[in-house]
Amino acid sequence: METRVGSDAKADCLVTARAAERASVTVATKNRNLLETGIRAVAEAVIESFGSPAVAVEVQDQGALDYVLAARIETAIRRVLPEAKPVQAVKGARAASDPDRPRRSRLYAPGNNPRLLVGIDIHGTDCVLLDLEDSVPLAEKGAARTLVKRLLAVVPFPDEVWVRINPLDAGGRDDLAEVLEGRPHGVCLPKAETGESVRELSKELGRIERRLGFDVGSTHIMPIIETARGVLRCEDVAEADERVVVVAFGAEDYTRDIGARRTDEALLFARSRVVAAAKAAGVQASDTVYADLANDAGLADECARARDLGFDGKGAINPRQIPILHHVFSPSAAELERAKAIVEAAREAESRGLGAVAVDGRMVDQPVVERARRLIKYAEKISKGGAA
Amino acid sequence: MTRNALGREIPERIGGRTVAPFAGAFAKIPTGTKAPRLQKGAPQREDKVLPTLEAAIEACGLQSGMTVSFHHSFREGDRVINLVLGTCARMGIRDLRIFPTALFGVHEPIVGHIESGVVSRIEGSMNGPVGAFISKGGKLREPAVLRSHGGRWRAIEAGDVEIDVAFIAAPQADPYGNATGIRGKTPCGPITFQAVDAQYARKTVVVTNDLAPYPVYPMEIQQGWTDYVVVVDEIGDPASISAGTLQLTNSPTNLLIARLTVDAVMASPYFKDGISFQGGAGGVSLAATKFLGDEMDKAKIVGSFGMGGGTKMLVDLLRRGQLRAILDGQAFDLDAIASLREDPAHLIMDPGIYANYDSRGCATYKLDVAFLGATEVDLDFNVNVNTHSDGQLLHGIGGHQDVAAGAAMTMITLPALRGRIPPIVDRVTTVTTPGEVVDVIVTERGIAVNPRRGDLRERFLAAGLPVRDLAEIKRDAGRYIQPVRRPVFGDEVIAAIEWRDGTVIDVVRKVEGWQ
Repeated sequence: METRVGSDAKADCLVTARAAERASVTVATKNRNLLETGIRAVAEAVIESFGSPAVAVEVQDQGALDYVLAARIETAIRRVLPEAKPVQAVKGARAASDPDRPRRSRLYAPGNNPRLLVGIDIHGTDCVLLDLEDSVPLAEKGAARTLVKRLLAVVPFPDEVWVRINPLDAGGRDDLAEVLEGRPHGVCLPKAETGESVRELSKELGRIERRLGFDVGSTHIMPIIETARGVLRCEDVAEADERVVVVAFGAEDYTRDIGARRTDEALLFARSRVVAAAKAAGVQASDTVYADLANDAGLADECARARDLGFDGKGAINPRQIPILHHVFSPSAAELERAKAIVEAAREAESRGLGAVAVDGRMVDQPVVERARRLIKYAEKISKGGAA
Repeated sequence: MTRNALGREIPERIGGRTVAPFAGAFAKIPTGTKAPRLQKGAPQREDKVLPTLEAAIEACGLQSGMTVSFHHSFREGDRVINLVLGTCARMGIRDLRIFPTALFGVHEPIVGHIESGVVSRIEGSMNGPVGAFISKGGKLREPAVLRSHGGRWRAIEAGDVEIDVAFIAAPQADPYGNATGIRGKTPCGPITFQAVDAQYARKTVVVTNDLAPYPVYPMEIQQGWTDYVVVVDEIGDPASISAGTLQLTNSPTNLLIARLTVDAVMASPYFKDGISFQGGAGGVSLAATKFLGDEMDKAKIVGSFGMGGGTKMLVDLLRRGQLRAILDGQAFDLDAIASLREDPAHLIMDPGIYANYDSRGCATYKLDVAFLGATEVDLDFNVNVNTHSDGQLLHGIGGHQDVAAGAAMTMITLPALRGRIPPIVDRVTTVTTPGEVVDVIVTERGIAVNPRRGDLRERFLAAGLPVRDLAEIKRDAGRYIQPVRRPVFGDEVIAAIEWRDGTVIDVVRKVEGWQ
């Protein structure tokens, strides 16, 4: 049997593999003199990591980075020799992220498209979201998993990196078993509808964390509410497990599910419910993506309305949207100044033994002081950057 | 062999000439006189039209072993170089030295002319198939010599290259020998690249497909320089001028580089009323030009001039009042050509005004900011635009050296990762432009500032820009790719790279092996 993995698109490679009498590697590249030895070295290392099985591998290179080459070759070997097991797991090293860190933007990247994955770490987004679900055709799910795992293992994301898996009963378990080796900060659960599904995911994560020697409980969960059922039960979802740190809303599937047009009116109920459920559970809420790439003003407007509803961030489908998201979802200079004034006034009142706090002649309640403290801390986290 | 100021090994003689090694970007002091220009003969009142190209070639006395020159304003659409060389071949002329301002993929037939002996020497850029042919062992009688646009003008004035016949593709010409590139049936933009050829060549032939009544204007090529005018069916295809360039990039990486570039400009001391800048036709340059225009608009500042190659992007800025003028040596799209006819502040600039080292002034010296590309940069900020990492000669210099030497802040934009071939290297394969005139390198993984420019570094840091060491960016990119092999060069020199002052900054040698 012969198998082909990858494509002839730029930044990808096409790998053909078949069982043979002994292991061999053939390389085709436009820059043979410069590149052949390096590509061969990658291929041989992957074959060796499987205990050097008798497999003939052909690589047609289109400028793929090492992790792309390795992922394609690994997928090919596993297809030809389903019994083959790697001698050593590909393992990422990444510290768990702060559950309350800013998540103003989550940038989606299709999990099987090397051209769009190269450099996905450099756009300054708060969360990168590597997608194995809607953007990956069924036949490519396996290849995407391996590619995402290998990418996670070598790319040092400066902020948070998440993987959107498939629903647990539709390939999600296989996704987890493989990509967790790359050590993402968190896993997005699409079409979340019940607390039970979140707890199931959490248990599965715990098992794999234990197997891989990671701290149990260190991988976060982001349930995505994107169905009518999900919207009606989102408080169960948000409260289901300690791992949940943010609840996201997905408008595309939701409008389809309820038969609505995508208008603000149609989405208001769902958005408000998701925000209330998230906040009741003490976690963040993140709004749906905005699809009109060319319309910066429309994006800024939608962001502002989401912020006013209580959302902490929003999805992005292109890096160019990130600066707008970050602008809208960061505390403004005026807000920050006011918060500092409130905290200062509270400190002073306390030192003078006064119970009541006044700013600009107006009384301020204790919850407002708390909120001001949180806002200052949040702003500090934003300016500090990083996942921790 | 001697080592020049960059430590590059340079032979003492190349072809028939003694080589002056590069000593520093501004080390040479021009002295003496320029080369004399031939008196072309008696005053002439009659028209100069000859019936055929063959007749003109005969009238010029063009013979085997002579030097012929051409311009590249039609870029990928040019028909004249192939037409003239094909005619020479049919007439039995051999052993020509060609001296084009640039060559393109469309000039692939030159490879056949080299093989058959019609062409034996090339002075000029080696874009595409001709460069590849020479790199792979195709033989010229002498090494090719590559010069910048300004360097080529200087070399002619200095007498370094003597032209026997200049063939000038002219979209419109009159019978008395005035010619322009911005009017006619198939305008291509300015043709003043060859204004110096027309003055110094022994004979000057204007080749046009649109003969118009006297006087044709603007007189980019003047009646006093022209010996003959020939009418042919086709001189070039304007639709191909912008082939391969002028797509506003949609690559997130390139857009990020463009964004960082403009952020750096805004943090620099040059972002103020009267700013001048040069933007090229590459995707990153175009995007940077657009972003810079938007920021100038927001900040309500007006630029003094933008420098071409002219593009729609620059024309839009001029027409919106965001630039006082465009100085334009060549057109990169049809909008720029139309604007040259319609906008009085869109000025044709010949390479003598643009960038002649042996002169008391260059327009490039008035540039605040320039965005330039590269195939490779090294840790000393040297830039290579001529060869690929495998040692193959594939591109000309264009205005790279001239602009880099001139601009107060020269910015090289390039991705830290370009497929599997690392663009940031320890030592560039070939030096086109020395690090001493490169101020900033902008990549998607950070901005590197030349240690000579501590002032810029401080401003960028204060603005919160991601300033990093070039070596660190290189290491960062290196984690994703196995090391590539490097070519091992033999002794045989296939091309010399002149610095814009006429000294030799590097040579390209034949690849003999791999390590």
